[in-house]
Formats: sequence, structure tokens, C-alpha cells
Amino acid sequence: MIGTDAIISFVSLFVLFIVLGFYGKYWRRGDLDHVHEWSLAGRKLGTTLVFFLIGADLYTAYSFVAIPSGIFAKGSLYFFAIPYVMLTFGVALVTMPRLWTLAREKGYITASDFVKDRFGSSTLSIMVAITGIVAELPYIALQIVGMQSVLTVMLAGYANAQIVEEISLLIAFIILAAFTYTSGLRGATLTAVFKDILIWITVLVVIIAVPISIGGFHNAFSHIKPNYVTLPSSLVPAYATLILGSALALYLYPHAINGVLSSESAQKLRKSTALLPLYGVGLAVLALMGVLVFAVPSAMNFLSGFPESSRGILVVPSLILYTMPQWFSGIALLGIFVGGLVPAAIMAMAQANLLTRNVIKEFRPNISDKLEIRITKISSTVFKFIALGFVFVVPATYAISLQLLGGILIAQILPAVLFGLYVKSLKRTPLIIGLLVGIGSGIYMVEAANNFGALTVSLFNTGFGAIYIAVISLTINLIISFSGSYVMNTIQKKKSES
Amino acid sequence: MQIKARHVVLVLLILIPSFVNLGVPIYNRDVPELVGIPFFYWFQTLWLFATAGFYLVFAHLKGKQT
Repeated sequence: MIGTDAIISFVSLFVLFIVLGFYGKYWRRGDLDHVHEWSLAGRKLGTTLVFFLIGADLYTAYSFVAIPSGIFAKGSLYFFAIPYVMLTFGVALVTMPRLWTLAREKGYITASDFVKDRFGSSTLSIMVAITGIVAELPYIALQIVGMQSVLTVMLAGYANAQIVEEISLLIAFIILAAFTYTSGLRGATLTAVFKDILIWITVLVVIIAVPISIGGFHNAFSHIKPNYVTLPSSLVPAYATLILGSALALYLYPHAINGVLSSESAQKLRKSTALLPLYGVGLAVLALMGVLVFAVPSAMNFLSGFPESSRGILVVPSLILYTMPQWFSGIALLGIFVGGLVPAAIMAMAQANLLTRNVIKEFRPNISDKLEIRITKISSTVFKFIALGFVFVVPATYAISLQLLGGILIAQILPAVLFGLYVKSLKRTPLIIGLLVGIGSGIYMVEAANNFGALTVSLFNTGFGAIYIAVISLTINLIISFSGSYVMNTIQKKKSES
Repeated sequence: MQIKARHVVLVLLILIPSFVNLGVPIYNRDVPELVGIPFFYWFQTLWLFATAGFYLVFAHLKGKQT
């Protein structure tokens, strides 16, 4: 059971977090009645702040919960997250400065703004926006699952733990909604820096202290099944395609593009993107916790008190609690808690931007700037509570699987958004068909791979072994988009010649 | 010609780290260990630093170009 020392450090740091969130309003002041001021912090963020902001998008509950949980339960396959983050920054380094430059010239705030302008199609732009909004929801839910895991570990052994946990989450969300409403991306950026400091302290302490307390890494790895030491050769295609599919998908998420566009210049964006793989070092350390925990009997004993399906998500918080002094556990656990809260705020803001600019405004083009910002702020609040409600209703393990489905969906906007930046010959109709078929085939394969039951796998068995579904459906989508555009261009040429 | 050479360098700076990342058999082994950590884990973690190096050079060259 957790002691008062841990609770004191947890709560006092949370108060500091709230203060920073509200203070964001006054930081680098701008007129927050403008959408780009509220949601892009006035496009004034330099190398360091963009590094922290995009890092906050990446260093989410996905890293604290989903990855260590996957390694704990399934072994080395889930270490794909490390090469995935490396590759994703390569993709971003090539594509995002171009998107940034176009966005600055033409005043885009979202990827859908670009798609609409580039292809002159409201249909395609609305579809891209809705895909983004839908794919983002389970990602937010995953953040809440991460926060929940911290509370579960902290409250274990106390009376009425379940109710206290739900009320605490609700309070945390009301506070979050309040400061994103008033401070916008400025509040999120300040709290992102705060969160990252806590997380980096945690990662550095854990990577030194835990191996010492368990008698070295060798000890942890020598008592473990072989599929935790290296990757079984049958899973190599799965590993490679999970890297590729996830790397291509990350920068298509609305919140990532939001972070990119808040940069001050294309070159500053390049620099911070180039440095972002270093963030992965912390991710690797957290991932290793899924192995280290096996060597900590007290933590394993604590975990055995929970049903097998929910043990994974509790690995990191319980390992911290059972190897660190109480006061430090409080700091680390708060880091993980706000590590879910900050990204959730950024994601909900990005969703709200899409909904207002690229869906509502398509149907009601004449709304004033003031009304636009109000709708954006209110819908960002609504999205947060939808995700929260989702977590209360759906079991935690299910939320992680839905996040994988989100990845499959968001990958389908790649032809329009990323190839649209470079390839002149692409046409809107094949892109629309490709997007629809990509989503349809992706959902079908997920269902088929899970025998139309609860979603637990996102790999599809093919002649080449198990492959991440996002890669298969994206390939289908790309073939349709490119061959369709080629055919259309050829027909057009023939027509103009005759 | 110089522009072409620079272009090739830029492409390689992105492709080399990507090739290593996706070439799973390159690092899918347990030895040599580093402070008790199997090769599979420590190599991928340290490769992050190398990747950041490649990317920084890319960013630098690209910045000069524009």
C-alpha cells in the first residue's frame, strides 16, 4: 500500500501542474480569440519547445502503458516501438517542413485544409478530417487508461478504491478541460515541458536504481523465456511491418500535425525533428521495465492480485512503487499521470480544430472568427469527456487494441496528405476511393484476424507470415490512388489531343 | 553535378538509418551482451543516437540549401 510521502509529493506536484496550465494564457501573450493563436500558440514555438511539444505527443501513455504492457505479456515483439520512433522522424524530416512551408504561405491549420486546397475537393477534405477525429478517439482513451493505471496502483488496498479512482479521473479532466479552454496550446506546451522533466528524472533514476536492486540486467534476462531475449524468426515480418506501418501513421495524426505547424520556422522544425529520436532512449528504458519487473518478486506478487488481462498496464507504476522510496514514487507516478493528461489535451484540441474548420465550416461557411473559436473550444472539451466516458464503459485492455485500429484508419490518409505534397499527378476521385477501400479492407482484416470477436490482434496472416494490417490496407489504397490517377490522366491527355 | 551529389548524400542520410531499422535480422541476436542486456535491446537503443546524428546532418545540409 502507498504511504503518505508518495501522496504528498504526487498532490503537490499536481497543484504546480495546474498552476502552469492556467499560467499558459499569459505566456507569450497573443489574442486568444484567434484560432491560430489558441491552437497553434501563434506559430511562435522554437526548436526546444517544438521538441517538447511533439515529444509530448509521442511520450504518451502509449510508451508508459501499452509498450511495457505488451513486452510484459508477449515479449520482444513490442520493442518495435523503438525502431518505429526512429523511422517516423525520418519520414517527418522529409515531409513536414514542406507541409509547414505551405501552411505558413496559405494559412492552413490542419491537414484537411491542405487537402481541400490541393485537390479542390470538400468531400476528400471532410473524409480526411473525420478519419482524423475518429482515429484520435481511442488514442485519447489510451491516455486515460494510463492515468487510470497510476490511480489503480496508488489506491490499491484502500476502501472504495474504484469510486475514488473514477472521481479522481473526473476531477483531473475537469481541471484539464478548464485550462485548455482558457490557455489553448500555450498551456499544453508549458505543462508538456513540466511533464517531460518529471519523466526524464524518472527514466534516469529507474535505469540506474532498478538494475542495481535486482542484481543487474543479466539476472533479469537469464530467468526469462527466449521470446523475451530476441525475436522469434516467425515474427520478423510482423516486427518490420509494425515499424513501417506505425512510422508512416504517426505524423498523420491530427495532434502531430498540430505540433508541427506551431513551429516558428521550417529549419527549427527540422532541427527539433532530427533530435527527437533521442526521446526514444527513455521509451526503450520504459519498455525494458516489462522485462525487469519479472525479477522483482514484491511487484510480481502485487500484480498477481489483479486479473491477468489487466496486469500489463500496471507494470510500470507497480515496478516504480516497489523499487523506489515513497517520496520518489510520488514524483514518478505523477509524471506518468500527467504523461497521459497533456497528450489527451493536445489530441482533443486537434480534433476540435478539424471538426470546426473542416466539417462544420464546410456546411456553415459564414460563421464569424469568434464563433469559430468558441465552437472549437467547446468541442475540444466534449471530445475529452467522450473519451473519458469510453474508458469508463470499455475495459482497459480493449482500449489498447482499439488504438491499433486507430493506426490502421489514420494510415489511409497518407496518399492524400504526404504524397499530395510531392506528386502532382494525383487526382481526387481515386484518392477518395482508395481511402474508402483502405479503411474498409483494414476493418475487415482486423475483424477477420480476431474471428469477429474482441479485438486483440492487429496482424494478419499472409504467405509472408503475420503482417501489420495497416501496411496491407495502405498498399491497397496506394495502388488504387496511383493507378486510378494514372488512368484518369491518360484519358484526359487523349481527350485533349483529339 | 555538385547539386546532384548533395542530393544523393541527403537521400542516404535518411535511407541508411531506415535500412538498419527495417533490416530486423541485422540486430535480432542475443550476443554480445552489454552490461547483461541482450544485443537485440541495446543495439536498437544505441542506434537511436546514431540516427539522431544522421538526421542532424540532414537538417544542417538542408538548411544550408534553402
